[in-house]
Amino acid sequence: MSEHPEGHGPAYEHLRARKSLAEILQSAAEFERKAHQFYTGLIPRVRKNLRYLVEELAAEEKTHYELFQRLAEDPEARQQIQERIAVPREDHRFSDYIQLPDLGDNPDDQAILQYALGREDAAMKQYRELAQNAPPGPIRQLFEYLANEETAHKLELEKRYYELVYGGSRMVPRV
Amino acid sequence: MAKIRHDDRGSLLAPLKALGFFTRAPVTETLAPRPASLNYRGFHVNDWSQCIGCGTCQRICDNAAITMVTIPSLPQDPARGIRNQRPAIDYGRCCWCGLCVDICPSGSIALTREYIHICRESELDSYFVLPDPNGIHGQPFPAGWAKSEVSELIDPARQPMKELPAPTRIQGFDEIVQGYEPQQAIDEAARCVQCGLCHEACPTHMHAPEYIRAIWRGDAEEAVRQIYRTNPFAHVCGRVCTHRCEQACSIGNRGEPLAIRWLKRHAMDSVPDERVRELVTQDSVAAPSGRRVAIVGSGPAGLTAAFDLARHGHAVTVYEALARPGGMPRYGIPAYRLPDDRLDADIAVIEAQGVEIRCNTPIGAELTMETLRQQYDAVVLAIGLQLGRSTRIPGSGHRDVHTAVELLRRIREGEALAPPKRVVIIGGGNVAMDIARSLARLQMRRHGAIDITVCALEDFDHFPADPTELKEAREEGVRVLASRGPKEIVIDADGGLGGLKTLGVTSVFDEQGRFAPRYNHEDEQLHEAAWVVEAIGQISDISILGDSLSERLEWDRGRLRVDENGRTAEPWLWSAGDMVRGPDVVHAVADGHRVAASIHQALQQHTEAGS
Ligand SMILES: Cc1cc2nc3c(=O)[nH]c(=O)nc-3n(C[C@H](O)[C@H](O)[C@H](O)COP(=O)(O)OP(=O)(O)OC[C@H]3O[C@@H](n4cnc5c(N)ncnc54)[C@H](O)[C@@H]3O)c2cc1C
Repeated sequence: MSEHPEGHGPAYEHLRARKSLAEILQSAAEFERKAHQFYTGLIPRVRKNLRYLVEELAAEEKTHYELFQRLAEDPEARQQIQERIAVPREDHRFSDYIQLPDLGDNPDDQAILQYALGREDAAMKQYRELAQNAPPGPIRQLFEYLANEETAHKLELEKRYYELVYGGSRMVPRV
Repeated sequence: MAKIRHDDRGSLLAPLKALGFFTRAPVTETLAPRPASLNYRGFHVNDWSQCIGCGTCQRICDNAAITMVTIPSLPQDPARGIRNQRPAIDYGRCCWCGLCVDICPSGSIALTREYIHICRESELDSYFVLPDPNGIHGQPFPAGWAKSEVSELIDPARQPMKELPAPTRIQGFDEIVQGYEPQQAIDEAARCVQCGLCHEACPTHMHAPEYIRAIWRGDAEEAVRQIYRTNPFAHVCGRVCTHRCEQACSIGNRGEPLAIRWLKRHAMDSVPDERVRELVTQDSVAAPSGRRVAIVGSGPAGLTAAFDLARHGHAVTVYEALARPGGMPRYGIPAYRLPDDRLDADIAVIEAQGVEIRCNTPIGAELTMETLRQQYDAVVLAIGLQLGRSTRIPGSGHRDVHTAVELLRRIREGEALAPPKRVVIIGGGNVAMDIARSLARLQMRRHGAIDITVCALEDFDHFPADPTELKEAREEGVRVLASRGPKEIVIDADGGLGGLKTLGVTSVFDEQGRFAPRYNHEDEQLHEAAWVVEAIGQISDISILGDSLSERLEWDRGRLRVDENGRTAEPWLWSAGDMVRGPDVVHAVADGHRVAASIHQALQQHTEAGS
C-alpha cells in the first residue's frame, strides 16, 4: 500500500505535528472531506450503472467527516472517544491481499472497491502507528479511536467486496 | 342350522308370547361410549404443524367430504411446497374409509377412536369441522386409525437412475445420466399424488402434474404437449434444471421427492425430434403481425422470448455473438451433463416457429443497439453474464490464470485445450465443479492422471456447490479443500506460474450472517500448479450499450432496472435472463415468457392505436 496517496507521506507528518485533540480531529475531518471530494469527482467518470457505488462511498466519507467535525467542536468529545475505544476492533487484514488498482478511465465496481479498501487500510494503519508512537494519554486515545473508526469502515467495505466479487459463485444452485 | 321356510307363519301362540314382553323390566343402554378398537376410524385429527396443505386428502376422497380451507395466518411458501390451507371434513359425507390418512404425504392426518358427536338442530353445521391436533371442537380424542406400513399408499422410494461409473465417465465427456426405462418411468410417475405443489414452485409454472399423469398413462406425446405449454427448453430442463419442483414435492416430506426432472427428460427422449417439432408447431396459427422484434443473445431467456413472439406472429431475429446458439447451456454447461444434440433439438423446435438466429453477430461495436432500435419495433437484451470475475490478488494477471467461463467456452467450442499436469481452482460453487471436472477429463486424456485442487472459502457445512456435484467430483479424483482463501499467485523467477498461496479461513459469515470470511494468517499453504482457474462469479458485459444508452437507462445497484414485465426505462427495450434476474435456466425461461407477453401487448396496443 506504499504508493497510496495517504501513505506515510505528508498527511502522516501533518497529523504527527498536531498537539491538541481538536487539532487532530480537525485534520482527520479534513482528510475525510478530501476523500468525499475525491469520490464526488469520480462519480461522472464511472458508468451510470456503477455510480451508486461511488455515491455511497462519498456519502460514507461525508458521514465520517461530519462526525469528526462534530467531535472537534464538542467539549464532551473525550468522554465519547473513550467509550468508543473501550471495544477494540479486530483487523481481519484481508485488504493486505488486495492490490491497489489504477483507477484509470471507466473503472469497474471491483476496482472502485479495491481502491476504497486501500484508502481505508492506509488510514487505519497510519492512525494505529500514530497511536503507538504517541505518549499514553488523550492524544494516544484519540488516535486509537480514529484507527478504530477506520477499521470499522474498512471491515464494512471488505464485506461488500466479498458479496460483490465472490457472491456470484454462490448463485448457481442446482439443488 | 335348521332352515326356516319362507311360508312358515310360526306358532299360533306367537302373539301371546309377544305380549309377555310387556311384563319385563326395560333395558336401557347408556350413551357413554364404549372404548373403541385401537384401529377405530372415528373423527379426524390433523397436526397443523406437519400438514403442508397439499390437498391430497381432498383429492382422494370419493365422497367429496373434504374441503381445503385457507387460513391466512398460516405460512404460505410455494418454493418449499407449503400452502396455508387445511382440510375441513363434512361428516355428513365422510364414510370413515381412512383413505385420506393412508395417502397423506406429510403424515399429519389421522383418525381417532371417538365416534359420537351430538348436536341440537341449530348446531347442524357442527358436523363440518376443521380438525386440528386436538380433535374436533377442541376436545382431545384418543388416537385410532393412523398410517402404518400396511396401509401406506405413498411409495417413498424413487426409481433409481442409471449413471456411468466414475472410471468410465472420466475417460471423456459422455453423458453421465442414462435415463429411465419405460417401465421405470411409469412406476416413478405412479408415485405422484397430483397435488400441484411442483407447479406452484416452478418459476415458469410447468404443468408437471399433467405431464406426469400422461407418462403414467404411457402417452409421451401428451406429456410433450404439456411440457411445451410453458417450456421450450424441454430437453435442457429435462437434464440440467435446478428442479425447484422437487424441493416442493409433497412426497419429499417423508420420502424421496418424485424425480420430476428425469420424468420430463424421459418424455422428451421418448418422442422423436421431428415429431416433437410437429406437435409443437401444430397449434401455432397466428397470422403475421407485420411487427419486427430483435433479440440480443440466444440463451434460454432470449430464445424463449423469441419462441413466444414468433408464435404470436411477429418477425423475430436473434443476434448471437458466438458461433452457435444456446448461451450458457451451449458454452458453459459441460457436455457430460448436457449433450449438444439435445440442445440442438430444443433450438430446432424454436427455429421451426419461424425464429431467425444470426450467429457470429455481436451487437455493440459494428451493429449497435441504436441500429436495432431504428430497425425493429422492440428489442430484447438477453446477454447473460459472460465475463468471469477475477480475484485480482497479486499475480492474477498472469497468462496462466484463467477464468472458468472462458475455459468452459473454449472446451465447448472444441478447442484442443491442453491443461498442465497440475491445476488449482479458486471457488467452491457449481461452476467451479464444472471446470474442475472438465479439466480432469482433459488431464486424464493428456496425462493419464488427474491433479486438480479446488480451494473454496466456505467450510463443508456451508459449501456452495451441490452435494451431488461435490460427491461426483471427488469420485472422479478432484481434490476439494474447504476453508482456503486465495492470497496470491506465485510466479517463478523465470516468469512461470508456480501455484496459489492460500490462507486458512476461520469463519465464513459474520454475526449478521453476511458473507465475510476471516483468515488465520499463520496457516498459509502453497498449492503448486501451472494453471490457476478463477471460478468465483460472472458479470454482464454492458459496455455494448454505449455511453448514451447507458445514461438513458435506469440502474439498480449495478444491474439494469426493469419493471415486473422486464421493460427498461427505454420504451423500446426489454431485458431478460441472468443479466437482470438469474440464476438458472428455468428462471431465464420464465423471464423470456414474461418479456414476450409484455412486448406482444405493447405491439398490439401500437397496432390498435394505428401506429
Ligand atoms: C458453467 C455454468 C453451469 C451452469 N449450470 C447450470 C445448470 O446446471 N442448471 C441451470 O439451470 N443453470 C445453470 N447455469 C446457469 C444458466 O446457464 C443461466 O442461468 C442461463 O443460461 C441464463 O440464460 P440467459 O439467456 O440469460 O443467458 P445466457 O445463457 O448466458 O445467454 C446469453 C447469450 O447472449 C450472447 N451475447 C452476449 N453478448 C452479446 C452481444 N453483445 N451480442 C450478441 N450476443 C451476445 C452470449 O453469447 C450468449 O449466447 C450454469 C451457468 C454456468 C456459467
